[in-house]
Amino acid sequence: MQPSTHREEITIGILALQGAFVEHQAMLQKLSLKQRIHIVQVRTPEDLTKCDSLIIPGGESTTIALLARLAGLLGPLRDFVKVKPVWGTCAGAILLAQAAEGTKKGGQELLGGMSVTVMRNGFGSQVESFEAPLEVEGLRDSDRPFHGVFIRAPVVLSLDPSPSDPAIEIVSRISTALLPYNQTTLLPDEDVRDPRDPSTIVAVRQGRHLLTTFHPELTKDDRFHEYFIQRCVLPSLS
Amino acid sequence: MSTPVSSGRSASPVPQGAGNHTGTPLLAPTRSSTGKDGASSNLGTFGVKSGLAQMLKGGVIMDVVNAEQARIAEEAGACAVMALERVPADIRATGGVARMSDPKMIKEIVDAVTIPVMAKVRIGHFVEAQIIQAIGIDYIDESEVLTPADEEHHINKHAFKVPFVCGARNLGEALRRISEGAAFIRTKGEAGTGNVVEAVRHQRAVQSEIRKASVMSEEELYAYAKDLQAPFHLLKETARIKRLPVVNFAAGGVATPADAALMMQLGCDGVFVGSGIFHSGDPAKRARAIVQAVTHYNNPKILAEVSEDLGEAMVGLTITDDLKGGRLASRGW
Repeated sequence: MQPSTHREEITIGILALQGAFVEHQAMLQKLSLKQRIHIVQVRTPEDLTKCDSLIIPGGESTTIALLARLAGLLGPLRDFVKVKPVWGTCAGAILLAQAAEGTKKGGQELLGGMSVTVMRNGFGSQVESFEAPLEVEGLRDSDRPFHGVFIRAPVVLSLDPSPSDPAIEIVSRISTALLPYNQTTLLPDEDVRDPRDPSTIVAVRQGRHLLTTFHPELTKDDRFHEYFIQRCVLPSLS
Repeated sequence: MSTPVSSGRSASPVPQGAGNHTGTPLLAPTRSSTGKDGASSNLGTFGVKSGLAQMLKGGVIMDVVNAEQARIAEEAGACAVMALERVPADIRATGGVARMSDPKMIKEIVDAVTIPVMAKVRIGHFVEAQIIQAIGIDYIDESEVLTPADEEHHINKHAFKVPFVCGARNLGEALRRISEGAAFIRTKGEAGTGNVVEAVRHQRAVQSEIRKASVMSEEELYAYAKDLQAPFHLLKETARIKRLPVVNFAAGGVATPADAALMMQLGCDGVFVGSGIFHSGDPAKRARAIVQAVTHYNNPKILAEVSEDLGEAMVGLTITDDLKGGRLASRGW
């Protein structure tokens, strides 16, 4: 691979084992950037070798992890995360976390890569799924809120980088006033009122990786996809 | 470039948000009413209802009757489980009125797994639906597999925070259910038979009607909406995006990995498997093979590998007029 800073084409893989991968693809196809974006749906280790970066979509994290293992992708994905940019949305965010709580009995396999601990289905069941406007640092037109769609979303419990890890940047927090009123799963006796509480974190960037607990691919707003390419993918190619 | 959605817009009358094979923009309706600080969050919007169905795509939803089966399904890679007291094959065999399951049993299943849990209610039985919503289930199936409680009306599904999936045999039926608030459609097939023929018939009917609609002029669409007994605005949207405006799964008679891949190649977004798993010789192995078949449905080599040595499939029934338990697919209006 040539060390050019002006690559004309970038290849973005979308892990296509289960979940909402077509939505990410439709979003990427609409971006207008200088570079041509080539998209690969990743189902096998061979598919993965073609990619400069990867998006892990929403879906069921247990299903995606099992299918990855059965397809011989778990090892290649863990190696990929060590060297190339990856963005995880919702279930993808769980897979990118270094630790998860509320996992299935016997625990579940993660890829790791980000110094974040998450709680699966942290807001509760589907009746606690919600939509809310988000303020996001660093997006194009950042004055305009981004529409956050949270579906059985994971909740960030803590950021725990070790001194040798890349710094973590909090890209977006949700206002405590907008959290679903019923947080019984996470906090049986108290409301989150502290705006610095980790559970208000909904998007973080660490080094080349991006994690969002919500679904930018379910909106018509392509600013997060553009952000991933500008902030994570392009710097990694130079 | 897509046009960004502004907040404060009222919800679109057209349910949008199915995944889609044509690259048409996907829109989660933004229903942001103004609250304190000029913003508020919204629970149970059509966007999060159809959005959860989108997250299930490419996955297998398995019928289970207890916590132990639910765990087997989760370990085999199910993207959700359907909690019910008797699988359809047993409903056929034992007969009688089939109702909503005991909430205690459903709650045990919810506690046993981390994946979404669905439960069935009888067609038109909105109180069963209220009960299921109250125990925090993730999706309701208003299902023809249970004995209908109303032979004229379906549940007004817009009135619930929990999303609904409904069966359909053709495009008109699918669009009527969506207009009542269903955020997810499945074929009806013929449940409990282990025979995929009806699911194929229903999926082919829906696809063929969508293809016809997609080349019609607006005048023709008005007439076609009348023929199909479908709301015009939903038919028009379907014709524009060339697929159902919500996620569409196969259901009813899927028994093998090949059946599952067949339904995927016919354009389904995922698969429900009912009696086919726990009425087979080796449920865990068969369940896992069907999960892999749905992911790799276009890869015959992998399909061959996962189809090997699965033990006995469920005993299938031919679908004739003297089918034991009758034709369930004819229920629903």
